[in-house]
Amino acid sequence: MPREFEITYNAENVYDDWVYDAHWQFLIIPVENESQYEVEIEFENSLFAYTEESINGFGFKTLRIHPKKKFKKISFEAKFKFKKEEVDPYNFYLEPDISIAYKELQDFNFKITHERFLKSTSFTILESSQEQLFKFNSSLSIFDNLEALNHWIHKYIKFTTGVTEVGTLLKDVISKKKGVCQDFAHLFCALSRTNGVPTRYVSGYLDQESGFVGDSQMHAWAESFIPGIGWKGFDPTNNILANTNHIKVSHGKDYNDCAPLKGVIHTVGQNKTSHSVTVQSQQ
Amino acid sequence: MTNIENQIFSSYQRNPDLYDEIYDKNGKIKKVYQKLFNLYGEHSIIDYVSLNNKAKSSFFNQGITFQVYGDNNVQEKIFPFDLFPRIIDPVDWDIIERGSIQRSKALNLFLWDIYHDKNILKDKVVPIELITSSANYLDQMNGVNPPGGIYNHISGTDVIKHNDGKYYVLEDNIRCPSGVSYVICNRTALKKALFGVFNHYQTHTVTNYAENLLELLESVKPKGVDIPNVVVITPGMYNSAFYEHSYLAKTMGVELVEGRDLFVENDFVYMKTIKGPEKVDVIYRRIDDQFIDPLEFNPDSVLGVPGLFAAYKKGNVTLANAPGTGVADDKAVYTYMPEIIKYYLNEEPILNNVHTYHCSRPDELKYVLEHIQELVIKPVDEAGGYGISIGNKLTKAEIEKVKAEIKASPRKYVAQPILSLSVHPTYIDDSESFEQRHVDLRTFTVLGKDKEFVLKGGLTRVALKKGNLIVNSSQGGGSKDTWVLKK
Repeated sequence: MPREFEITYNAENVYDDWVYDAHWQFLIIPVENESQYEVEIEFENSLFAYTEESINGFGFKTLRIHPKKKFKKISFEAKFKFKKEEVDPYNFYLEPDISIAYKELQDFNFKITHERFLKSTSFTILESSQEQLFKFNSSLSIFDNLEALNHWIHKYIKFTTGVTEVGTLLKDVISKKKGVCQDFAHLFCALSRTNGVPTRYVSGYLDQESGFVGDSQMHAWAESFIPGIGWKGFDPTNNILANTNHIKVSHGKDYNDCAPLKGVIHTVGQNKTSHSVTVQSQQ
Repeated sequence: MTNIENQIFSSYQRNPDLYDEIYDKNGKIKKVYQKLFNLYGEHSIIDYVSLNNKAKSSFFNQGITFQVYGDNNVQEKIFPFDLFPRIIDPVDWDIIERGSIQRSKALNLFLWDIYHDKNILKDKVVPIELITSSANYLDQMNGVNPPGGIYNHISGTDVIKHNDGKYYVLEDNIRCPSGVSYVICNRTALKKALFGVFNHYQTHTVTNYAENLLELLESVKPKGVDIPNVVVITPGMYNSAFYEHSYLAKTMGVELVEGRDLFVENDFVYMKTIKGPEKVDVIYRRIDDQFIDPLEFNPDSVLGVPGLFAAYKKGNVTLANAPGTGVADDKAVYTYMPEIIKYYLNEEPILNNVHTYHCSRPDELKYVLEHIQELVIKPVDEAGGYGISIGNKLTKAEIEKVKAEIKASPRKYVAQPILSLSVHPTYIDDSESFEQRHVDLRTFTVLGKDKEFVLKGGLTRVALKKGNLIVNSSQGGGSKDTWVLKK
């Protein structure tokens, strides 16, 4: 039986001065895939501005708003209802000869096909000494190594809010050994890519009822491509594999490709933004 | 009948080492220039100067100006114009035209491939680092099929004639190549000043550029559009090429817009007009990729249109040139052009590439070290002329130093033969006479759906400083009208 989910996303922006022209793009809709489907969207804003459904540059669904009157405050509320199949992340066939998958990682065409998720970005670049932080053990399978990496990051970084921000570079996260889910996910991407495994940053929601770590905003984890198995989700913040509680919205090279809210606002003065997310589910 | 008293050229000095476009090796005027030489010879230098001044003021009065950035006294300047035209005979032109089309088509196929199956990379013809390390490679374009299958709708190919008499391509400009408006204005100015000379030559027109550009832009309209609405988008009046943007819009008979004149609704692009919104189907954009849509690329851009890229990705609007085209407009990609042409077209390159030695390859490294005095050494990762060593201008000590640097990191360097651009007689204000000056030629190629057009003419740029090889207008370059003769 699929679970029925309901997610509520709230955001409020308050400005010192009148805003005459603003565009927002929300990348917050649960993506439809083999386990998530029948997504219903309700979206409201305090200015009653028209909302468009569109896509971003990578084809993920977005919501776009462009109010046609001046304002100092705007709030948004999105509700998503959808069904999700139970996901058992350990339900896959592992080829006993682990060398086959390693060979595939070395294949030239494989590297070209997955070029986008093998290269480092400004968010995932490591100093050369840091690239040695986690080396795969070639006597274990790729999957086992990734699980070990997931565990290693979970122990290495202490989940702490307020130490890092959206633009914090990975090298600073590593030296502070503190961060939030975004930093955990970036570090996972960086270290699995240096070991030759294509890995993408994932943005989404986490059903926190089961006691997982995250904050009351969006969550981030990573997906690695394992030859013979396919894409597998790893959540180093919680030291688990992505499962039914992980509701995917989008993926990309790093946070930049997945930022939940992008705005083009022409105003002077300061602004305050707040977000909150609640996830509810029932069998 | 050569060299009869010809006042205008009486003090013209020829350097025998340079390839002169109007004199042959024996000092005879070439056949195609004979009539022109005699016609100009009927005038005195004083007549010529006064005509030249009239032409200059005509440019200024028409507002055909450009601006040099980084200058505190921002001043509108005219692009210096020389009344003595360059002639290209039909045989040479045939090579240039076919060669420009060949390169543009090969680049278009290359762009399609690297944004789809990436076969040229898988076949190791071009190294993958070439695209992954390029800031102009747009991940967002992967799998996108641009309308009509065209990426580089407009290409500007910079061609020079070397002292071996052969044409070489220096650069393929496929982002937003500019200069075509000067080609047309140069022709108009020359016709005003000396219309009589045109009676003696069968010269191809250049004023048909706009109609051909419009036709080819219309040919790559989005699916489902009957009669497309075309616009030209400009960064605005402070852009150095604003004159050209307005000229092209005017001569095509389409609207010239800025980002704020357009908006996107339900993934379609509209133009604000006093009669209400009007749908836009094809955008000839003169704004760089990073600025076209602040929601997708540079968020600080005020030049672009929020939502434009989503409309493009959904196939509702055509952008010319396509986003991500810049990846093929690159020094490193240039060196692979002969291979790229052979790979996609199975043809030999019609125009020569300047041969490039990759110091990463041992046999080529050996050649470079042995022939360093005949070569230009360029670092692969620098732009804007930094780190370039010209072999024949180095002292012995400098040569040893450069050699040591190359040996230390061969991957970092490429080398090319030193080219000598051909020279053309150009009137020089300071000496009040004609002198040899280096010239190049920018051709303009337009690709549409299953058809193409090359402007029969082009922008001949002149390096006005003596001995200078740099022809850019920002570096004090001028231009000449360029005649392509009919067969």
